[in-house]
Amino acid sequence: MAWFTDRHCFLLAVTFYGLSTIYSVFLWRKGFRRDDWVNYILLAGGVALHTLAMAKRGMTLHSCPVNNLYEATTFLLWALGLASLVYALLPRFKFLCAFTSPVLFTVGVFALMPSLDPHGAKPEFSGALRSLHAATILQAYGAFGLAAVAAAMFLVEQHDLKFHKIRAVLSQLPSIQRLEMITARLIFVGFMLLTIGLAAGQQLPRHEGVPYFSDIKVIWSALLWLVYLEMLVARRYFGRSPRRFAAAAIAAFLVLLLTFWFTNLFSAIHHQ
Amino acid sequence: MSVVVIGLSHRSAPVELRERFAFVETNIPDALKQLRESGLVTEGVVLSTCNRVEIYAATALVPDDQFFARVKKFFTEHHAYDGELGDELYTFAEPHSLHHLFKVAAGLDSMVIGETEIFGQLKKAYELAFQQKHTGVRLNKAFQRAFNVAKQIRTETNIQRGSVSVMSAAVELAEKIFISLAEHEVLIIGAGETSEKTARALQSRGVKKITVTNRSLERAQSLAAELGGRAVLFEQWPDEFERIDIAISSTAAPHHILDRAKLEPLMKRRRHRPLLLIDIAVPRDIDPAVNELDNVYLYNVDDLQSIASDYLKQRQDEVARCEQIIAGKVSALLEANKFANPAVRG
Repeated sequence: MAWFTDRHCFLLAVTFYGLSTIYSVFLWRKGFRRDDWVNYILLAGGVALHTLAMAKRGMTLHSCPVNNLYEATTFLLWALGLASLVYALLPRFKFLCAFTSPVLFTVGVFALMPSLDPHGAKPEFSGALRSLHAATILQAYGAFGLAAVAAAMFLVEQHDLKFHKIRAVLSQLPSIQRLEMITARLIFVGFMLLTIGLAAGQQLPRHEGVPYFSDIKVIWSALLWLVYLEMLVARRYFGRSPRRFAAAAIAAFLVLLLTFWFTNLFSAIHHQ
Repeated sequence: MSVVVIGLSHRSAPVELRERFAFVETNIPDALKQLRESGLVTEGVVLSTCNRVEIYAATALVPDDQFFARVKKFFTEHHAYDGELGDELYTFAEPHSLHHLFKVAAGLDSMVIGETEIFGQLKKAYELAFQQKHTGVRLNKAFQRAFNVAKQIRTETNIQRGSVSVMSAAVELAEKIFISLAEHEVLIIGAGETSEKTARALQSRGVKKITVTNRSLERAQSLAAELGGRAVLFEQWPDEFERIDIAISSTAAPHHILDRAKLEPLMKRRRHRPLLLIDIAVPRDIDPAVNELDNVYLYNVDDLQSIASDYLKQRQDEVARCEQIIAGKVSALLEANKFANPAVRG
């Protein structure tokens, strides 16, 4: 079984995410009327294989597998998938899986590109503080991703309620107030994790004379931190409407996804 | 021994006839005693509700036309009815009698398809007959199966899902917007009958605080007292919008009493908390333009009726699935009875 690498395992996980995505389309077309377990099981199968893939890579490296873009992406997706499975256990939240699986599938396919994992399972850095930095930041992105998924559910249901679509009442989706609350809590958790990750990153050794806040990735992360802080403050103290808050959560995560790899490639301190 | 049914329901007879044949609960044991003493049946259960009056019985006689004619005679004589009865009174022998019993238990023969009240009424009727020892092996088995089938149908199909009345559709909408209704206050503008019913439906799902306003303060106070809420002067209702999250309006005003210009500043004071507006007045009390405001969800009586109709259609679509379950269970029961009574096997 030596030929069966962690990448094969991840490929299988992405296949499960793909199946879940196809099933999600059917659920969507049926208006989310039946709160069934099929999608949950498909997603759970994907996350189990995903966990195995990461465990295999981690055991090869003897550390947390967050050394390159492939590993970082799979870690982010894993955090998102696992959190979805946990949240989906709440009453009427199983449809979260239908919103998460398309994200896991599309980003998972992207992560499988060979250029993201040029050296395979080869340790590129070590140390507990580096692992803490990478793991907390990627978990923060996972929380932001799940918040975006909950926000998408909010916008779909809010639109249906607003325009008197019958599926708003026929669907098994949770109430819009609960979805907004979950989105806000996930953003708060992600924000706290991002804060810890950035603080840990500041403590890491770097070339002499290179200020922490001169690196493109650090600046990008700090901007992201400010964006999420603004969202939390505007919601809490300035009465930002739930619709705008949800739209901002989705937009912020899309920007995160689209610029994450780009800033990583041009970051000097991440390629020392 | 076979199970038979004789009776009339909302499908076959008008209310004037149904009330003529209704049984008073305290008289049911005596009626059953007389029926059994007549030698026509050995076991019996009387179900008497506002929508149906039926006798379920087990008989050792052959349930042919002559048998049913004698039971009909008992039925009419018991109620001292000397008029003519045609199709209003229906009779069923096995297997149709069992099929009918299972359908009634599952709410498939009810006026509102899938309603659950009949299940409780049937259970109560059976328990009364059981306690008075008017049931035996045959009816006990048939009723137990009927209750099990009703539960199975409730679990496996969508026959009881959703709101089929305007009031319950409003409650369901509220539950799609808010996490828990217990924490939200309701304002009733115009103390009409539908508002009252909607408020009661909301109360049954946890709403604790209700405020009533009406042009006549007396009427508002009277309804508030009935609902355990408080009354406010009609001129003061806009001030309540800072606290309430659900408003039900049903005044007789000939024009809109709430429009966008009036609601916009109120929403700012509410810090954009979601607001559900139920407008059941005709002509409408609330300008439809308010629905364009963020976090405002406005539904009028037509919107609610359309939700209720859709649910009803969904229930009707489920009837075929329920009938399939019932057919299978009736066959299984008849088969079990055949084995329990070798004489029938021939």
